[in-house]
Amino acid sequence: MSTQTVPLPLESTRQRPLWRQLLALIPGTALLFGVGFAGKGTESLGHYLRTTRHIAFPQIEYVLWAILLGLAIGNAVRLPALFRPGLATYELWLKLGIVLVGAKFLLGDLLHLGGLSLILVAIELVLSLSVMMMLGRVFKLRPKLTSLLAIGSSICGVTAIMAAQGAIDSEEQDTSTAIAAILTLGALALFTFPAIGHALHMGQQSYGLWTGLAVDNTAEATVTGALYGDEAGRIAILAKTARSSFIGFVVLGYAVYWASRGQAQHVEHKALFLWQKFPKFILGFVAISILATAGFFSASQLNSLGNLSRWAFLPAFAGVGLRTNVRDLIHQGWRPILVGVLGEIFLALVTLALVLFATHGAVR
Amino acid sequence: MDSRSPVRQSAKLAFNADAAAIVIALALAALIRLNVIPHIGW
Repeated sequence: MSTQTVPLPLESTRQRPLWRQLLALIPGTALLFGVGFAGKGTESLGHYLRTTRHIAFPQIEYVLWAILLGLAIGNAVRLPALFRPGLATYELWLKLGIVLVGAKFLLGDLLHLGGLSLILVAIELVLSLSVMMMLGRVFKLRPKLTSLLAIGSSICGVTAIMAAQGAIDSEEQDTSTAIAAILTLGALALFTFPAIGHALHMGQQSYGLWTGLAVDNTAEATVTGALYGDEAGRIAILAKTARSSFIGFVVLGYAVYWASRGQAQHVEHKALFLWQKFPKFILGFVAISILATAGFFSASQLNSLGNLSRWAFLPAFAGVGLRTNVRDLIHQGWRPILVGVLGEIFLALVTLALVLFATHGAVR
Repeated sequence: MDSRSPVRQSAKLAFNADAAAIVIALALAALIRLNVIPHIGW
């Protein structure tokens, strides 16, 4: 899950009353929704101009419009600080969309595709961690930076890196660099994965599974899947969610490793550690899926829940663009990015082969 | 945090996003189930 969060000074958040904290969310949240709606509006405008007025207008999905508009705004102007608290709510909208999309999965599908995803994730984890560690050594990256890159690329992008930062006592510069690398690769995936999927004539399920396994950050994985189609987007979320559930185990593994070398604090209560790192929103996703399977909702109500999840994703997609600062990503140094790129290319190819092999005859 | 960090434009949420997402989703699902919200289009 993507939580590119910079902790505010504790005093500043604790001393402010709740109503003021909530009030502070309004400008950034309004910007997220504004850009998201503008993306959807631009798609509708394009459709109108092409079909009614016969004016040439790019045929681009609302998902990409929201990201492009967000990127344009976020990189053209330096957003004032008053937008920051609200912009951070993109994480809430993303998780809300994911929980609601659970209505689109019957429990049987969830167990079938989720089980398949878990097997593929386990293989992907071993390969990802091994390759990243090897590349880190070859390019002489700092060991903890290598650990962060390995965690970020194998599991859940930025959230995993943030979770690992405290567990392995890494330096903030390493955290920042690792996050930059993961965000850069996520941005590249937005444009390369759909093109590869179309070139290979991949089905919605195969593509969604591949995206969920190969794209690191949950927001980028969701968007990259949605760019290919609704079903691909849902499957990408499912696969990515299965991958995210491993976050605690991998971070715990690294925490124990660095603690054994005397460079991080020992983890006293491992079960508690696993629970703390577990992304709880997954429980909501499963709960909604169980309700849908039990016949709690009618067909039209399920349709409404599906549409609601799409509305929730709109500001999240806008947030992907708004929070990506291209100039800053470039300034983070070429070696971590290169290690990330090489590792991700390898993983994209391996996961593609895994998905094509696993889904042959099972899913289209 | 590095002054040129790619994460500088965000702040930490003052609430638990996971719990909030679950509560809002279940509340909306209940409103849809009870037909308080009859239909949501796209």
